[in-house]
Amino acid sequence: MTSPLLEIQNLHLEFKTYDGVARVLAGVNLTMQRGDVLGLVGETGCGKSMTALSVPRLIPMPPGKITEGRILFEGEDLLEKSPHEMQRFRARRLGMIFQDPTTNLNPLFTIREQLIDAVLYQTMDAQRVPGRWKGFLPSVRQTRVLANQRAIELMGLVGIPDGDKRLSDYPHQFSGGMRQRVLIAMALAGKPDLLIADEPTTALDVTIQAQILRLITGLVDRLGVSVLLITHNLGVVAQSCQRVAVMYAGRVIEQAPVRELFKNPKHPYTRGLLHAVPTRHIERGQLSGIPGTIPNLVDPPAGCRFHPRCAHAVEACRAAVPPPYPVGAQHTAECVLFAGGS
Amino acid sequence: MNSDAILQVRGLSKHFPVRGGLLNRPVSAFKAVDNVSFSVPRGRTLGIVGESGSGKTTVGKCAIRLIEPTAGEVLFEGEDLRKLSSGDLRRRRTDMQMIYQSPAASLNSRMTVGQIVGEALWLHERLNGAKARDRVMELLHVVGLKPEHYYRFPHEFSGGQQQRVGIARALAVKPKLLVLDEPTSALDVSVQAQVLNLLHDLQQEFGLTYLFISHDLGVVRYLCDQVALMYLGKIVEVADVQRIFDEPKHPYTQALISAIPEADPDEGHEQIMMRGDLTLRRPDQGCPFAPRCQAHKVPACDTVEPRVVDTGNGHYAACHLHPGAAAS
Repeated sequence: MTSPLLEIQNLHLEFKTYDGVARVLAGVNLTMQRGDVLGLVGETGCGKSMTALSVPRLIPMPPGKITEGRILFEGEDLLEKSPHEMQRFRARRLGMIFQDPTTNLNPLFTIREQLIDAVLYQTMDAQRVPGRWKGFLPSVRQTRVLANQRAIELMGLVGIPDGDKRLSDYPHQFSGGMRQRVLIAMALAGKPDLLIADEPTTALDVTIQAQILRLITGLVDRLGVSVLLITHNLGVVAQSCQRVAVMYAGRVIEQAPVRELFKNPKHPYTRGLLHAVPTRHIERGQLSGIPGTIPNLVDPPAGCRFHPRCAHAVEACRAAVPPPYPVGAQHTAECVLFAGGS
Repeated sequence: MNSDAILQVRGLSKHFPVRGGLLNRPVSAFKAVDNVSFSVPRGRTLGIVGESGSGKTTVGKCAIRLIEPTAGEVLFEGEDLRKLSSGDLRRRRTDMQMIYQSPAASLNSRMTVGQIVGEALWLHERLNGAKARDRVMELLHVVGLKPEHYYRFPHEFSGGQQQRVGIARALAVKPKLLVLDEPTSALDVSVQAQVLNLLHDLQQEFGLTYLFISHDLGVVRYLCDQVALMYLGKIVEVADVQRIFDEPKHPYTQALISAIPEADPDEGHEQIMMRGDLTLRRPDQGCPFAPRCQAHKVPACDTVEPRVVDTGNGHYAACHLHPGAAAS
């Protein structure tokens, strides 16, 4: 069997803060195969974005520090690569899109300039030209013409009509949904294998959200790219992912195929989360939240980090961090309730 | 119209001047809200839903005269708020309060919770000292906060707790109507559930009337009795919540409902895509939604602006697909 596309093994990440060391990630395990759409869900501050940013090594160090663990991309450990290799990796293999499409575009430059930059950085093979003209030959003009063609192609790929004309527009002339499409185009410029989408639709209206999600999931079929979709919206996960990983306070506490997770949630936190979403079947006044708030990561609760909020907590929860127990087909939950199997 | 309506809005418009030219004079008007009518029955919840830029917040603010409407009537318990003097309006304000989207931004970071909630009591009832303190404590208890929170500052709270402080401040003057402007959209789902339950309990306990502004149809379906959908400053459909979700009449409502991501992989519905994005520029004539409409069929769509008509059972829609909409 070939190695999975992305494998995060026992990742620990700490941040130095004035209050002490915050253990932001405490042993994250995730596996993604080629063509997967993996949803990473959880509430604010549970470490979803930190997990995602660890992959391209975009976490500022210091104050951040990876103390343990490996991040394997097709079997190669990303944490051992040199900064230069890492830069190449980010350009060629990885695309990222973020929450707010407005702040990620420079308002002073046209979309053409920004998109061509992305194309050039991600695809131009500067290594091939020797000596002092490295990066400039073949002629700048020729490269830009090629890059411009590629930019038009990308605009079409992400469904922006009149891509040729709209390249000359500035970001403020685009709507929020269209800006997000431009950013997806930039992320795709280098034909990446993995697309990391960090809350790509949170800033958008529902109708636009539906379009963008459809675009992203369509890319999986059309380009064979795998997607790591980070979101706090369980509806988004249910409608667009194949597998789901639920995070709580720096650990992936439950992992399952999407249908299995929504039909048969095991971990008390996942169950609480699902019961907190207003769906058509819930009567008014019947919604149950999860009592309490997420723990302070500088001084997290011992053992299972969810136990102070959990209705099923027993003595064993305090004693040790539960490992992922298998509770079904490709379904694991980190909860002592399932220590003896499901 | 319902005679037991606590709030009736008739023909409400709010136009903002668009300035331009050399002298920066008003050159045209941006119609944020245009000829909107609705009523909210006492003790019930009316949801106002729309995409960003549809004018839902402006309606909410005009409805309690936090901003001055350009035209129309706002009847609160039969009394036109627009005719009140500033002093009368101020006394009337104890009956209507507003809760804002961003809990952190709507609380003064230099005041303690006790001061924030107590200020309302002082301004409206001239209560201070021990009496005010007792009332604030009682209010904190009502919204699920603890007495020790009295001396804390807003930054010491989580988002959900901050929203509870905002609710306590609004309840301090014993209002009859609360305008809730996206009260849970800044919160996580588990906290959102807590706040929604709190709002529901408070309504039961004090008989409050809510004008609930939101873009989240899931939340609206959960909390509201009636729903009004807005598009570019117009109400396009009003009905009971069940009707809106079971048999939406307006193509915009249909598209919006089909776009809700249901938290259930088996409940994916056929998505009705809308053409293009929301642009704030309205077509010069015809239905404002026509350029994006997929059901676009009738010639009148491009020439006559549809009227809101009753399609039966208190279900109102403004669309040419329903007879009578073209009559002026």
